[in-house]
Amino acid sequence: MRKSIYYSLILSAMISVAAAEETRQVDKHEHGVGELNIAIEGSSINLEFMIPGADIVGFEYKAKSDEDISLVNTALTKFDDFSNIFTIPNAANCNLVEAEIAINQGDDHDDEHDHEEHEEHEEHDEHDEHDEHDEHDEHEHEEHGEETHNEFVAHYSFTCGNVKEIDRINFTYFTTFPNSGELEIQFVSEMGSTSFEVEGDEPFINLKGKI
Amino acid sequence: MLLKLTLNSLYARFLTVCMTVFAISLSLMLYMSVEKLRTSAYTSFTDTISQTDLIVGSRASSVQLLLYSVFRIGNATNNITWESYLDIIDRDEVDWAVPISLGDSHKGFRVMGTNKEFFNRYKFRGGQPIEIEKGFLFEDLYDVVLGSGVAEKLGYDISTPLIVSHGLESFTKHDDQPFRVSGILQKTGTPVDNTVIVSLAAIEAIHVDWSTGAKIPGQQTPIEEIRQMDLTPKNITAALVGVKSKLSIFYLQRWINDYPEEALTAILPGAALQELWRVVGVVENLLLGISVVVIFTTLIGMTAIIFSSLNERRREMAIWRAMGATPRTIIGLLMLEAFFISMLSVIISTVLLFFSLAILQPWIDNNYGILVSVEMLSIKDMYVFIMFIIAAMVVSLLPAARAYWFSINDGMTIKI
Repeated sequence: MRKSIYYSLILSAMISVAAAEETRQVDKHEHGVGELNIAIEGSSINLEFMIPGADIVGFEYKAKSDEDISLVNTALTKFDDFSNIFTIPNAANCNLVEAEIAINQGDDHDDEHDHEEHEEHEEHDEHDEHDEHDEHDEHEHEEHGEETHNEFVAHYSFTCGNVKEIDRINFTYFTTFPNSGELEIQFVSEMGSTSFEVEGDEPFINLKGKI
Repeated sequence: MLLKLTLNSLYARFLTVCMTVFAISLSLMLYMSVEKLRTSAYTSFTDTISQTDLIVGSRASSVQLLLYSVFRIGNATNNITWESYLDIIDRDEVDWAVPISLGDSHKGFRVMGTNKEFFNRYKFRGGQPIEIEKGFLFEDLYDVVLGSGVAEKLGYDISTPLIVSHGLESFTKHDDQPFRVSGILQKTGTPVDNTVIVSLAAIEAIHVDWSTGAKIPGQQTPIEEIRQMDLTPKNITAALVGVKSKLSIFYLQRWINDYPEEALTAILPGAALQELWRVVGVVENLLLGISVVVIFTTLIGMTAIIFSSLNERRREMAIWRAMGATPRTIIGLLMLEAFFISMLSVIISTVLLFFSLAILQPWIDNNYGILVSVEMLSIKDMYVFIMFIIAAMVVSLLPAARAYWFSINDGMTIKI
C-alpha cells in the first residue's frame, strides 16, 4: 500500500518534471509593426516580409465569412504582384526568381501559396489559387473564442543585372494596405548591416553607399 | 564702381565691420563644429565593429546585447551554455564563431575571455584588423593581452604581473592565480582598447574553486593541478558569428531566436547600432536644432548691426542720392555689403574650425574615443555656406529698404 503511494508520488513528480521541460516561447507579434528583412549578396537580393494580419486585412481570426475570405484572398493576390508592395529602380535590372506568399497562423499552421517561376506572372490563374484557399478553409479546425494571431509572410528573391544601382527601395505597401503601420527593416549586404524604420509618410529607404 | 564704393565704405567702418565678421565667424564655427562632432561620433560609433554578421547572447533586447558584448556597457541577463554554442557553430550557415566570456575585471577594466580567433575575426573601421603592438598573444594559460588604453593608463608593459578581480567592482580577487602581460594591442579607437583579454580556459581556471559566486573557503586547487584539468568552458556570455552567405543570415537569426533548448537572441550588429543611434538621435536632433538657432541668431545679429550702422550713415546715403544714386544702387550697395561680410565670415570660420580641430583632435580622441576627421568641407557644408550667404543678402534687403526711405525723407538737411 505504502509502496504504491511512493510510486504514485514518484510518477507525479516525473510528470511534472516532464511538463516543466517543455519549452514555452511565443514569437512576438505587434500590430502596426511589420517586419522586413533584406539581404543582398552578389547579384541576388532577398526580401522577406512578415506582417501582422491586422495591418493587411484588419483582423486576425481565421476568415470564415465570405466577406472575410475575399478580403484575405484579395490581399494575397496583391502580394502576388510585388510592385504592390515595393519597387526597385529599373536601372538595377532585377528579375524575380522566386516568390512565396503564405499566411502563418499563431499555431504554426501554414497556408502556403507557392509560386515558383514567377516570370509567368501575367498568365497565372488567380482562380485556382482562390479555390485552393477555400479548400483550406473547409477542413480547418474549430478555433472559436481562441485568441489567434496570423501573419502574412511574403518572400521575394531577385537576381539583378546591376545590384549597385539599387539606391532606393520604395514601399507601395503603405498605399496598397491602408491599415498598415510602420515597417521595421533589417538590411544586410557585403558592406555590413543596418536597420531602418519606415512609415507611410516617407515610404522609402535610401541605400546609397550601402550595397 | 559699386564694388569699389562698398569696399571703401566697409574699410571706412573697419572696426565695426571687424567685430561683426568676428561674431558671425564664431557662430558659424559653432554650427560647423557641432555638425562635425555629430557626424564623427556617428562614424566612430558605427565603426566599432564590422564584418561580424551576428552576435548571439542570451534573450535580451538587441541594444542591450550589443552594449554588453561590443561596448562592454551593462551586463548580460544570462550566460549561454557551451552546448548551445556548439549547436550554433554546427549549423551549415556558420562560417566562423568566436566565443566571449565577460564578468570579471581588473582595476575597473573589463576582463574578456575569448580564443585567439578573436584577434583574426574582430574587425573595426570598415574591416581593419586588430594588430599587436608588442609581445605576443596568449601562449600560456595565465597570459593576458591588454588593449592599448589599459596598458597606457595603468603603465603596464610586457610581463607585468596582474591579478583579476571577481566581478566588476568587487574586493574579492583571484589572487591565487596571478596573470602576466604577454602582449599589448595597437590603438583601435574601439572598446577593445579598454579591455583585458585572456583565454576562455583562464576564465574557467580562475573559477575552479568558486561555487555560486563565492570562493569555497579553505579550498585551493594547486595551479599545477588546474593546468592538468579540462578547462573547456561550461558557459560563455556571447558569441560573434560570421556566416558563409549573407543571404542566409536571417534564416540563421530566426533559427537562433527560436532555438528551443535555450532562450537566445541573435542580432545584426549594424542593425542594432542603427537602432541605438535612433535613440541617441534625439540628442543629435537637439544639437542640430541648436546649430540652426545659432545660424538664425547670427543672421539677425548681422541685420541688427547693419541697421544700427544705417543711422550713422544717413548722411552718406543722402549724399549718394544727391549724386544721382538710384534706389537700386543703394539696395545693391547694402546687399553687396552683406555679401562681403558673410563671405569673409565663412572663410574665417572655416580656417578657425580647421585650426582648432587640428589642435583638439588628439584630445577628443583620447578622452572620448571619437576620431574627428579633419578633412575638406563636405558638399553639405558648402550648401549650408551658400544658403547662409544668400540668406544674409536677402535679410539685408530690410535695412536697404529703410536706408532708401531715410534718404528720401532726410534729403540733404540731415540733423543727427
